[in-house]
This record gives sequence, structure tokens and C-alpha cells, in this order.
Amino acid sequence: MKIGVLIKQVPGAESALPINDNETGIQEDQASFLMNESDSYALEEAQKIIESRGNGEVVAISLGPDRVQKIIREALAKGADRGIHLQTDAKGLADPLTLAKQFAKALESEQFDLIFSGLQSDDSGMGQTGIILGELLNMSTASLVVGTELSENTLKVKRELEAGWSQWVTLTLPASISIQSGLNQPRYPSLKGIMGAKKKELKILSESEFYIDGKKQSIQKVFVPKTNKKTEMIEGEPDTIVARLVDVLKNEVKVL
Amino acid sequence: MLSLIEKIVFLLLAVGSTGLAWKNFGKMFKAIGRGSRPIQWKETIRNWPKGLAVFLGQQTLFKTRPIVGGIHAIVAWGFSFYIAVNIIDVLYGFIPGFHFFHEQWIGKLYRIFVDLFSIFVIIGVKYFVARRFISNDPKLKTNDPVLVSEAARTGMKKDSFIVGMFILMHIGFRFVGASFEIAGHGPDPFQPGANLLAWLWQSFDPVTIIYMEHVCWWLALGLILAFIPYFPYSKHAHLFMGPLNYMAREERRSPAVLESIDFEDDDIEQFGSSRLEHLTQSQILDAYACIMCSRCQDACPAYSTGKELSPSAIEINKRYYLNEHLNDFSIGKELDDPITKWMLTEEAAWSCTTCGFCVEVCPVGNEPMVDILRIRQDLVMMESRFPEDAMDAFNKMENYGNPWGLSPQEREAWMEGLNVPLMREKKTADVLYWAGCSGAYDNRGKDISRAVSQILDKAGVDYACLGNEEICTGDSARRIGNEYLFQMMAMQNIEKFEEYGIKKIVTQCPHCLTTLKHDYAELGIELDVVHHSQYINDLVKEGKISPQPSVTEDVTYHDACYLGRHNGEYDAPRELIQSVLSEGKLIEMERNKESGFCCGAGGGNMWYEINTGDRINHERFKEAANTKASTVATACNFCNIMMEDGLKVTGHEDNMVVKDVAELVLEGLNEKQINHSS
Repeated sequence: MKIGVLIKQVPGAESALPINDNETGIQEDQASFLMNESDSYALEEAQKIIESRGNGEVVAISLGPDRVQKIIREALAKGADRGIHLQTDAKGLADPLTLAKQFAKALESEQFDLIFSGLQSDDSGMGQTGIILGELLNMSTASLVVGTELSENTLKVKRELEAGWSQWVTLTLPASISIQSGLNQPRYPSLKGIMGAKKKELKILSESEFYIDGKKQSIQKVFVPKTNKKTEMIEGEPDTIVARLVDVLKNEVKVL
Repeated sequence: MLSLIEKIVFLLLAVGSTGLAWKNFGKMFKAIGRGSRPIQWKETIRNWPKGLAVFLGQQTLFKTRPIVGGIHAIVAWGFSFYIAVNIIDVLYGFIPGFHFFHEQWIGKLYRIFVDLFSIFVIIGVKYFVARRFISNDPKLKTNDPVLVSEAARTGMKKDSFIVGMFILMHIGFRFVGASFEIAGHGPDPFQPGANLLAWLWQSFDPVTIIYMEHVCWWLALGLILAFIPYFPYSKHAHLFMGPLNYMAREERRSPAVLESIDFEDDDIEQFGSSRLEHLTQSQILDAYACIMCSRCQDACPAYSTGKELSPSAIEINKRYYLNEHLNDFSIGKELDDPITKWMLTEEAAWSCTTCGFCVEVCPVGNEPMVDILRIRQDLVMMESRFPEDAMDAFNKMENYGNPWGLSPQEREAWMEGLNVPLMREKKTADVLYWAGCSGAYDNRGKDISRAVSQILDKAGVDYACLGNEEICTGDSARRIGNEYLFQMMAMQNIEKFEEYGIKKIVTQCPHCLTTLKHDYAELGIELDVVHHSQYINDLVKEGKISPQPSVTEDVTYHDACYLGRHNGEYDAPRELIQSVLSEGKLIEMERNKESGFCCGAGGGNMWYEINTGDRINHERFKEAANTKASTVATACNFCNIMMEDGLKVTGHEDNMVVKDVAELVLEGLNEKQINHSS
């Protein structure tokens, strides 16, 4: 059993997020980067499966600049067996399809039985990469997983639906699933783990080894949403009120 | 006095008994030798005056329970005196007609002493036996849910009984023997007690009297021979092991500061203590020094609020586990039982606030808190097993540089509206003012930071803050047992100190104080760190600021463990409070200074909850409320948070307030300005 886990390094929820000068992203040196929350649950779930089976391996995979090696090491310290770093300095956020194609190119030869990813990243929040990757590699897929039961050739997953409902779906292996936070308790690395992580394999793939041309999206502008609390009391005769209301809806709110 | 046969029998028994005792003591020291961190025996021997002072002075008994301590001193001095008495008695038995300076004043004095001491000791021991077996003193019991092993439960009763009976019989029969001697040879005005008793035997015939004198001699001295081999197994070993423990005790910069761990050293396979042999030699010795008086248990804030921890249970369980496995353990056999199965539960280990009260009160110099700190290191670094919320705190420290988990860019928020100088702009300053995470992120902490910086401004101190360049000192990480994370945090701060050439630091957080001053010293950087109460008090003394007496109502001061017991500062905050009192008085709580009771937040307990038992801070706040003072003064942000919570929960919001000493001083300084302008 070989499980690949996609982990992403994102700015922490409490991190400062100042926008950079050309408004294409944040000033990275001001942010505290850490492992995407749902990815850490995906990693824990993969480790629990391998531990209960007693054999197999967990491979932690991350794409990004060199700083992402910090979370790969963290995954190795927590018990992942090896890591793969898809090294790229590309600024800005690629679209999930392009990313998935890059992962597919880099990981096809690994022949994973399972690929786990977090439900969505805390920064761009696309929530598709792991699922598209599964499709590209011809795997069964399921999103929003909150529970797993692995048998010989199938993976039964509990999916979260709306309004407190959930469903059980059985997938044939290989499968790629995206995991919702909260289904387990991610562990803290022991010192043995931290020390051992230094000796574990971390394969670095340079961009040329997985580059796929044809980005479908580019970032125009990143900005902090302006919260504007303005209350205007429209008073007067019904006719004036209606005229003003239409004017606001047409020219200011722009919904008419 | 003795017949030849008696002499031979006695000598043979003495040789056998000493041999057996030698063997048993040997096992005991081999067991101690199995611990990690060897005791420096040369140093230990050089410390003999310390041991002698403790033994003769008995001063460590009087920190708590002074009456019991007094009775113990009489028993102890009496018993030590009896060693000389025993030697003289042996000589009396062996040398016909021997008397210890019978006609000289020294002999007379000696006999009076023996006589009176015998009576004192008999009364003293009877008191202790009655206390343990009849009165059921709760101070000598350990309540649920503390883990007390079966071996300890039964062993303790048995040992107390044997030791009590031994002393009673040994001294009793010696006393009775003296009375028979008087009955045979005529009254001795220098043994009034024995004289009185001899009156009972006046109708006995001389042969019976001689016979009885022999019986008493044998019971008194023969009992010693029987007792000596049992000695190492009994808690009576504390007689030697207690003073020895003082001599062998590791020097610490502060009670909860352990030596640092070298993570580069690949030979270290075990971090912290999981099994008996992982404890240090001095901690194994602790078990032999323990007399099971449970003073530490009385003191422990976790125990007194019904949690699973009792520091004395740690030592007692350790001692009986050692007794049970002494043969195997002393010859080097591996004992696989994890400590947390027989010494204290994991929850007990997490319940410790590292307040240091147990170490402070222990009459034989034991450090149960250190056992806990080492067990935590194992649980965190080897087993990765600890309260869930502690993990959250670790992650926040790692990711954001503070256990609050707030943005590192928000550290300077408390400075808003004030002109607080920053190191990165000023580059150099006489003093670094270290606000700490609580001073930067907690709302009340921010108030205190603002007060401190305003005081420094008014005093014209050349200071600066690191602001956003500061990160958590790593105190909580280290006390919870995450030495690795602590060193990561410390190294980053040390780099900053070196960058700006920082030597002197003022901080309002006693935890930061301890960590910067003592823990960082273990990593090789010596900093001159003072608490804000000390620094501000000096400013007042030097006349740089003159706060006006503005407090008109009574104030009580809650000692912060890490300022008091951990750094020995009890006076500075009190002097500051005195300096601003006008009509109000400083009223002490029942437990204060060295006996101060923890707020419950130390040792990382700020970051996780132990749900067993009552809240420590509520108990402490009730004590503060009992003083009827309207202000509870604190000198620690954690204490401030805990006391404010206590104030709300116990419903004192309307009639009491919690204030840091710096806030009181600032009020006094502002008062002055008002006076001036009017």
C-alpha cells in the first residue's frame, strides 16, 4: 500500500498578510507559513491507515519554492516515509488544472494506490487539485471525506453532505480523495521523528521535470476587501424614495 | 557485667549484623548508581558541613508544621545522643565495673541527659505513633485519585510500626535497664526518671534484678543489631540519607531549571525519564531520603485541589518499587515498567504547575518537581503524548512565535499611542524592556506593559523594546518538556540579543525572567535580567520616580511562584505596594512568600486544562478575598489573568480589583501630576 499525500504550505490564519507592491500576492517575508490545515489531517489519515496495516509507505508531496521543504520535513518528522518536492519559483497561483497536470506528470511513475489531499487550501481555496489529479491518473475520486475504511481492493469513504447529512461511497483502488479537517487528531512529531526526518529521503524535482505549459489563469490584482459600512436613510415622498432607490441599485450597487 | 558467653554471642551477632547491613547498603548504593547523571561524590563529601548543619540544626523541619518539627528535633537529637549512649552501654557490658565518669560532673550531666532524653523520646515517639495509627491525621494520608501502589500502602504502615516500635523498645528497655541497675546498686540522684521507676522493683530479689538488667541490656542493644540490616529498607534510612541528599543535591540556578540537552549528541537515545534507571542518581537517592511526612503533599496546589498528583506519593511509590525490586535492580537487570504505571500517572505529571512549593518545604531536600519535569520530557519528546491543548500551544509557538497563536506582526499593538522606543530604530539602549507574549497579546497584559513603559519614561530610563522582533522565550515549552522547541525559540532570541549587544533586560513576566536569566544561561548566554518590580523599586529608592501614596484601601499581594520561590524575590513588590499606600494597609494572605500558593498557570498549565478536581486559581482567589482587601496586587501576567478569572467566578467583580504592582505605581505617579497641576 502506497499513499501519496499532497501537502501545501500556506500563510497561517493568524499571519499578517500585507499585499506586495505590484499587487500580485502577499509580501512573503512578512507571513508565517505553515502546513495547510486540512492537509495535516490528510497526512494523519494516511499514516493511520499504513500503521494499522503494518506495511506500506506514506509519501509527502509538495509543490512550491524551497521554503515548502519545511512542511515536507515536518511530515517526515511526523512519520511519513519519504518526501517529494516539486521545486518551482513560479509566483502567483496556477489554476488547479495546470497544477494537477504537473503533479500527474511528476507522480505518474509512483503508481500510488491512494492519493490524499486536504479538502482545500487555506490561501486560494480552489479545492480541486487532488480530484483532477485523480481523474488524470485514472483513479476513483471522492471529495469532502470525513471517514475512511480500507479493505483489500476498495476504499469506503464517508462524505460530508449539506445540513449534517453524510453518505458512504465505495471506491475501487486506486483512488484519490480530498479530506475534510477534523476526522482525526494530527500528531505532534516526537524528537526521534524530528531527528529521523533528517535522514529520510527528500527527492527534489526541478521544474523542467514536471513543467506543463498552458496556464489557464493569471492573477490580475490581489487586494484586501474594503468593508464599507454606509447607511443611507432614504426619506421623502414615495416617488422620490423609489427614484433614489432605483438610482442606487442601478449606479452604485449595479444590480439593475 | 556480661558473662563471657554473652560477650561472644554479642560480638558474633554484631559482626553478622554489620555484614548484612553492609550488603544491604551496598545494594542501595548500587541502585542509586544505576541512575543517569552521576552524583559527584567528591563534591558531595566536600559538602559535609551542609549535611551536618541539616542534621544537627534540624532547621529544614521548621519551614512548615513548627510543632511537629520541634518534636522531631527532640527525637532526632535524642536519638543521635543515643549513639553515644549505646557505645557507652556496650562498654559497660563488656568492661567489668565500667562507668562513664561516674563521680565527675560530666558523668552526672550525662546521666541526667540520658534520663530526661529517654523520657522525651518515649513521649515523642508515642506521639508520632499515635498520630499515624490512631488519630488518622489527614496530613499523613493520600487521597484519591492519587496513585499509591499496593506495595507502598502496606509497606508504609508496616515500616512506621516497626520503626516506632524499635525506637520505643530500644530506648524503653535502656531506660528500664537503668532503673534495674539503680534497684540493684542504690538510688542515683542524677537519673530522676529511672529512680522513680526503680521504686517499682524494690520488692525484687537481687538475682531477679541482675537477671532483668541483663534482659534489658540485650533488648536495648540486641535490638540495634537486629535493626541495622533492616535499616536501608526502612524509611529510617533518612537519618543518613536525608543529610546525604542535601550534600549530593545538584546545584540549580533556579528550582525548575534543568541542564540543557545537547541535540547534536547522537549517543543520547533517551530524553527524559520513562523508566526507573532514567531518573538521575540524585532522584533515586531522593526516595531513600524521604521520610514520608507528606509536607510536600500539603503544599501542592494540584493535590489540595483534588488532582491526581501528590509529590510525596512520587517518592513513596519510588521507594517501595525500589524495595520490591532492589535485588534485580541493583545487579543491573532491566525493569521495563514505565514510571507512569507505578510512580505517578500521566495526568498527575501534567497537573504539576512547577510552583516549586514541594521542593521548598521538603525537610530532606527532595525534588519531586524535577522528576515530573523529566517525565514530561520523555512523554513529549519520546512518546509524543501530552494534553491536546499543549500541542496547540507548541504549534502556535512554532508557527507564530507565541503560544497565543496571534500574529507576530501584532506584537507592537500595545504600544499604540505611546512613544515606545524600538531596538531596530534605536540600535542600542541601556536596558531592553521585554514585554513578553502575555504583555503583548493579553489585554490586561498590554495594560501592564503600557504602565511599565510609562514608568520607564518618567524615570528617564534609556530603554528600548524588540517589538515584532521578539518571540516567546520558550518557558512553557521547556516546562511542558519540549526541550527541542525551547531551544529553537531560545536560539532565535539569543541571536537578536547578540545582534544588538543586549546585556541587561527588564521584564514584567517572572516566567520570562526565569527563562532569560537561568534557562538561557544553561545554553551559554549570561544575561543580567531583572523583574520590573525590582527595577522599579530601585528607581524609587534612587529617587528617579516618587510615586505618591494614592491607595486608600487595603491591598493583598499574591506571590508569583516564579518570582518568589524560583528567584527569591519577595520584598520588591511589597515595598512598591507600601510606597503607594496612603490609608490602606498591605494585608498578607495565609500562605505567602516562601509558602505562597500558586495561581495555577505555571509549568505550561496556562495552555491546557486539567479537569480533575477544583480550579487552583479559584482556591487562591478565595484566600485573597478572605483578607478583605479590595485590591489583589500581582507581579506576573499569568497570575493576573488567573486572579481576574478567580475574581469573576467567585463573584467579587463589584468589590475587588486585580492590579499589577506597576499599575499601582503608575497611579501613584499620575497622582503626583494631578497634585502639581492643581
